[in-house]
Amino acid sequence: MGVAFDLCPDRPDAIDQILNGLNRYNPETTTIFQDYVASQCENQTYDCYANLALLKLYQFNPHLSKDDTVTNILVKSLTVFPSADFGLCLSLLPPYVLAAKEKSSGPPSSGSIAEAVQHLSVLHRLLNNAQYAEFWSTLDGDDLYADLVADVQGFEEIMKIRIAVVVSQCMQEVERRVLEQWLNLNGAKFDTFVKEICGWNVDESMVKIPLNKENEARGTVVRENVKFDQFSRMVKRAYEQPA
Amino acid sequence: MSVRQAPTYQQGAPERTIDDDSDVEEEALANDYREQVGYSNGDEYDLDRSASLGGGLQDLQAQLVNAATPLEYGATLDVKIHSYESYCNLFDYILNSDGPVDIEMPSYFWAWEAIDEFIYQFNSFCSYRQRLAYQQSTTSANEEEVAILRENPSTWECYSVLNVLYSLIQRSQITEQLAARKRDEDPTPFAGKYGSRSLYQMLGYFSIIGLLRVHCLLGDFSLALKTLDDIELNKKAMFARVMAANFTTYYYVGFSYMMMHRYADALRAFSHILVYVSRTKNFQKGAQYDSISKKNDQMYALVAICVAFYPTRLDDTIHTALREKYGEQLTRMQRGGPEALPIFEELFRSACPKFINPTAPDFDNPQINVDPTEHQVAIFMEEVKNNMYSPTVRSYLKLYTTMDLTKLAGFLEVDADTLRSWLLVTNSDQDKSDIVKVDFLRVM
Repeated sequence: MGVAFDLCPDRPDAIDQILNGLNRYNPETTTIFQDYVASQCENQTYDCYANLALLKLYQFNPHLSKDDTVTNILVKSLTVFPSADFGLCLSLLPPYVLAAKEKSSGPPSSGSIAEAVQHLSVLHRLLNNAQYAEFWSTLDGDDLYADLVADVQGFEEIMKIRIAVVVSQCMQEVERRVLEQWLNLNGAKFDTFVKEICGWNVDESMVKIPLNKENEARGTVVRENVKFDQFSRMVKRAYEQPA
Repeated sequence: MSVRQAPTYQQGAPERTIDDDSDVEEEALANDYREQVGYSNGDEYDLDRSASLGGGLQDLQAQLVNAATPLEYGATLDVKIHSYESYCNLFDYILNSDGPVDIEMPSYFWAWEAIDEFIYQFNSFCSYRQRLAYQQSTTSANEEEVAILRENPSTWECYSVLNVLYSLIQRSQITEQLAARKRDEDPTPFAGKYGSRSLYQMLGYFSIIGLLRVHCLLGDFSLALKTLDDIELNKKAMFARVMAANFTTYYYVGFSYMMMHRYADALRAFSHILVYVSRTKNFQKGAQYDSISKKNDQMYALVAICVAFYPTRLDDTIHTALREKYGEQLTRMQRGGPEALPIFEELFRSACPKFINPTAPDFDNPQINVDPTEHQVAIFMEEVKNNMYSPTVRSYLKLYTTMDLTKLAGFLEVDADTLRSWLLVTNSDQDKSDIVKVDFLRVM
């Protein structure tokens, strides 16, 4: 089993207490959670479970909802793609934010939360479809994105690392040309990033990724552990007198 | 005004049994009557009602039976609102009397049925209100009902529903009891003066399952699962003794896992209960079985979706039943590509719960009151689209251990860059796919 989804080692005790008690429904805790989101943006930490609690408070008290905080939470959840976090956050947003695009009523008015959410959904789609080159060009292509990710410190850096992680899980070798596009880096910067941060080997045209647990080729073995308890009935039957 | 006649009238009513339909009708009539008398004289009416609760034993029993009885099909708005008030009064009496109340539960299943019906009515009321608010602009919606709903924004309010469930959990100290049971200790010392009574214990326990359900309906899947932390999901669990509760629990657990993209866990939950049902269905004839057979089909639809995402070996019984019910759909979903999208959507729609919004709709802006189910469908379909080509790619990965990227791209009729992306998607989430990490990734 992996790590529990509500676990976050960096989470302050005060937040933990609110999350585990009924105070998580108390509208007065909204500001505490908002500050916590701000600190996550600044300190490059991430706590999905707490952020979902804030979105839930917004869901119950729409008048308290702050668009900036909502988009910051969504941007933060992009930094952990391809996890389900972005979708889980969307699930708690008011339904009209996504619906507008499917109607023929035209694009949502600029500056609205619907517009922001739909823009971020585009990024999410590109990331999850592994279209990293398009991700970077889209990000650079619209000023709105610059505004949306501005609060999240080191967004581009985090995304590069995240992409590198996904790549390292799936590949052993990749063409330099391709990886340059995926990471939106070239020349000396690319070399530094790949060699020093990732610790990969680069030659003329290829990048070699050392073997790790995820990217080695191996067959899957299906194993099922059956406890003796589960057979207790059968064993018992064997001793029963035939009726 | 003859306010006092209302409770008298009810007390005079013959004692009810659950299965007696005519009595249910009579009860509806009685409710209707009480309402008409009550509306002209609100405050006094309320006082009198709560007094009547503590009154005759017979009356109380009737209230209990009522709480576990579904409303009539096509019940009017007034009946629905009134039913909410009855629940409030009943739970208020149970929770806030002087010390634990001494009531005999009408049946062993009562606690489950009451909580189940309570949430069901909440769910359908919210959906109805939302739909009405949305339709306002397009059709000539029932103006009268809109007006009533506008005036009563706090009827079936989400906060109060959650409040009831949380209060029942706290009063019964069920969490402490379950924790003790988990440690293999005797739960009795942790039960307190409320929790030691089976009424509170059962209500508390089923309220936890109620919370799972409400959170899921609100789209908070992680919190839904978190709610069950204290409950052990196994055959010895308390809810396993009430078939409908057992069934409901696994449905919502599985669904929540699915929405969190944890398909393996979702499949485990669905398989567990579906195997159980298929093995016991011969003993479960009758009404209880009929009511779960619809949910049964829904769960098979969800199993089909999960298997399409996460190819895995299923229990033979489930596999056979799945082929019977959704064989064609499953084949098409497993083939992937854009043609599979409508199938995913159709199955999801038929199998998902009726999602709700926690707040009252905005009657002044009808168009923004989008059905929350549409919202969840959109989010789900986004995930489906992301994995649309994985089955196609996977089918080739099974065939080859080494091949040139461009060659595979040629087979799939896409360019090399697109294929690289597909491969990354197919391989990137280990939890989703147990696919063999093939050697040919090296030629990239």
